[in-house]
Amino acid sequence: MKRRIIFSLIAGLIMALAVSIHAADYPTKPIILMVAYAAGGETDIGARILAAIAEKELGQPIVVVNKGGAGGQVGWTDLAKQKPDGYTIGFVNPPALNSIILDPERKATFSLDHFVPIINQVVDPVCFYVKPESPYETFKDLLEDAKKRPGKITVTTTGIFSNEHLGILMLQDAAKIKFRIVHFDGSAQINTALIGGQIDVGVDNVGGAWASRVKAGQVRPLLVMDRERTKFYPNVPTTIEQGYPTVLMSSSRGIVGPKGIPEPIIKKLQAVFQKAMEDPQHMEKMDKAALAVKIMVGEKYGKYIKDLHETTKKLIEIARKAD
Amino acid sequence: MDALQYWILGFSVATLPLNLLYAFIGCVLGTLIGVLPGLGPAAGTAILIPVTFGLDPIGGIIMLAAIYYGAMYGGTITSVLVNVPGEAASVITCLDGYQMAKKGRAGPALGIAAIGSFIGGTFATIALMVVSLPLATFALRFGPPEVFALLVVGLSLVTGLSGRSMLAALVMTFFGLMLCMIGMDPVRGAPRFTFGIPPLYDGIGFIPVVMGLFGVGEILLSMEAPVLEVIKTKITDLLPKREEWRVSTGAIGRGTIIGFFLGLIPGIGAIIPTFLAYVVEKKVSKHPEKFGTGVIEGVASPETANNSYANGAMVPLLTLGIPGSPTLAVLMGAFIIHGLTPGPFLFKERPDVVWGLIASLYLGNVMLLILNLPLVGFWAKLLEIRYEFLYPGILLFCILGAYSLNQSVFDVGVMIAFGVLGYIFRKLDWPLAPTVLALILGPMMERALRTSLEMSAGDLSILVTRPISAVLLIVAAVVLLSPAVRLLGKRAGKEDGG
Repeated sequence: MKRRIIFSLIAGLIMALAVSIHAADYPTKPIILMVAYAAGGETDIGARILAAIAEKELGQPIVVVNKGGAGGQVGWTDLAKQKPDGYTIGFVNPPALNSIILDPERKATFSLDHFVPIINQVVDPVCFYVKPESPYETFKDLLEDAKKRPGKITVTTTGIFSNEHLGILMLQDAAKIKFRIVHFDGSAQINTALIGGQIDVGVDNVGGAWASRVKAGQVRPLLVMDRERTKFYPNVPTTIEQGYPTVLMSSSRGIVGPKGIPEPIIKKLQAVFQKAMEDPQHMEKMDKAALAVKIMVGEKYGKYIKDLHETTKKLIEIARKAD
Repeated sequence: MDALQYWILGFSVATLPLNLLYAFIGCVLGTLIGVLPGLGPAAGTAILIPVTFGLDPIGGIIMLAAIYYGAMYGGTITSVLVNVPGEAASVITCLDGYQMAKKGRAGPALGIAAIGSFIGGTFATIALMVVSLPLATFALRFGPPEVFALLVVGLSLVTGLSGRSMLAALVMTFFGLMLCMIGMDPVRGAPRFTFGIPPLYDGIGFIPVVMGLFGVGEILLSMEAPVLEVIKTKITDLLPKREEWRVSTGAIGRGTIIGFFLGLIPGIGAIIPTFLAYVVEKKVSKHPEKFGTGVIEGVASPETANNSYANGAMVPLLTLGIPGSPTLAVLMGAFIIHGLTPGPFLFKERPDVVWGLIASLYLGNVMLLILNLPLVGFWAKLLEIRYEFLYPGILLFCILGAYSLNQSVFDVGVMIAFGVLGYIFRKLDWPLAPTVLALILGPMMERALRTSLEMSAGDLSILVTRPISAVLLIVAAVVLLSPAVRLLGKRAGKEDGG
């Protein structure tokens, strides 16, 4: 018995030592950056741009691995279970992450406590789009019509309790209006339905394919749910300008790791990714993809996710009561 | 941009040296898959999807498409030389092709098949170029209710046309639809029938299922079959005689038209066009009694029709995002894996992909003609590879392919399970195509239906008050109830791998 205790003590010591040696040399092998969506999506595009720049800084390859499905739930379930050695980290997309945790029907097996925030890359605000020939010239037109015809104007989301859905719920609550909410799979389907006249207003984010559609004159943005105007649509008003200072919603993309990664490794990753994100090459490529970079490191990023968690909780409660 | 500019854009993409190389590799692999018994185009494309992961989307899709229509060519070789179709769409070619080979006319049979396939494929590609753009514009009028109705038409066609028994086909369709229920509810996000098993949250993977049903299942079945006997004949003169040319010209023309138009209808599958082409040819022939004894029109027409169909079937896939056969469903999976959603907007947003692919179809047909005519002897040699070496190799590829999709051992398990199921279903003579199509169309159908109901605030009449949707639903009802359609299905009989 005694020998066993001594043995396990020594073993524990060796392991502790191994971890600290590990941390000092980290990384000694390629690291995996998981993306919980399919290749080619906006999160994936951002991740690949970042990985290509950051791996030069890190001295080891950063391999982007796509594990899509169930709106991110499949990948995040997997990420939460990874060994916290710093060799597997991944992108999360609050508030989609928060919604999955908070919505009881989702039966998520992970919570915010399973992750440690590393750094945020993108904050992409919710945006309202209409067809060029739509009767709504401005957001005010849409609002007036919504007051006249409650529950009749169709608006889209990219899924239940997605950032668009939460944004719409916020606006409905603040403006005392009611839309008819139609959930779609993603941006391409929303665009088809919008141009085909199947729905009245396409609600999605600023970035990605929408920016090029706006440039080509295929769609018209009416409103951005942010504090400041986006540099991609400088002529489009924000919710604050329209008198709804609390209606702010964005999709965000940042890197987290499974809880328990040693502090020195976290610090190293933060330094590497921050440097990579500030690289002009990164900025230029993200601008081209119309993805607004917003760097938030460590605690600051953690607070952003937690605040969003509270907001999401309230909105989901409101929505579930309305059902 | 007008049509001509799109064509130029397409050819400029397709003729990039790297893309030409991908198309060429695809053609070679496709012919190989077609030649090897035990592997059809559906399993072949599914297994090779992971190979394209490292390529850019255009290159990857060009290669997969080339595998698809390459297999249509390759399947003919085994039909003619061993009386075993290399893939399902060449079943009917056995009738006259094998007889021709017995008479020492294997060369012209393979020659006319290659030439007919080239002509059919080429004309269908040109027709695809002409109709795609207006159809993509028209497709914008397809909202969720219309998409739902069209999917119902597709599923009822595949049910009505598959196999001998309508009941068996219905069972297989519903089996597929039930499989789609596993995983996340596509709208609500709640897990269904997952029993807390995380890999099931994302549902049963479509590609492992195809690999299992069509790949592993077919191999298990082939192991029972006796070793194939290849007709030992010198394939020297590939070109048909003048008299044979004369009768083949009409046959090729009719095959092209039948193949292309049937390709436009989702759910028809690759077999029906070949049967219809053969039947029509027999009807117009002056000597119908000679069919089955080795007449060249009996090879020319169905072989033309199946390649024309292969290209025609790209139309609903590209314009509406609706795959008409299991192989096309795999191809659609490849689009999605590469981050592209087939549908009207792909024409606007990625004209380089759409037109590059279409142009590559055209170039691929030229390559296949070159590959097939002089190299027929080489392909025939492949048939002599002993199964003890061949099948373990294919199985290994299946396992690697299934694993590399998501780095998931679970997917490998799914593939093996469906391999066993595929073997059992084949033994029972229950058609596999309805299950596979239901599995890929089911989630689209559920989405479309639920989105429609969100649009109408729960009112079901949205499905019948919109004219396009109403007409399509009537068509679906007619298909399921019409004995005429079922009769055609009975003729088609065997499994549809195309």
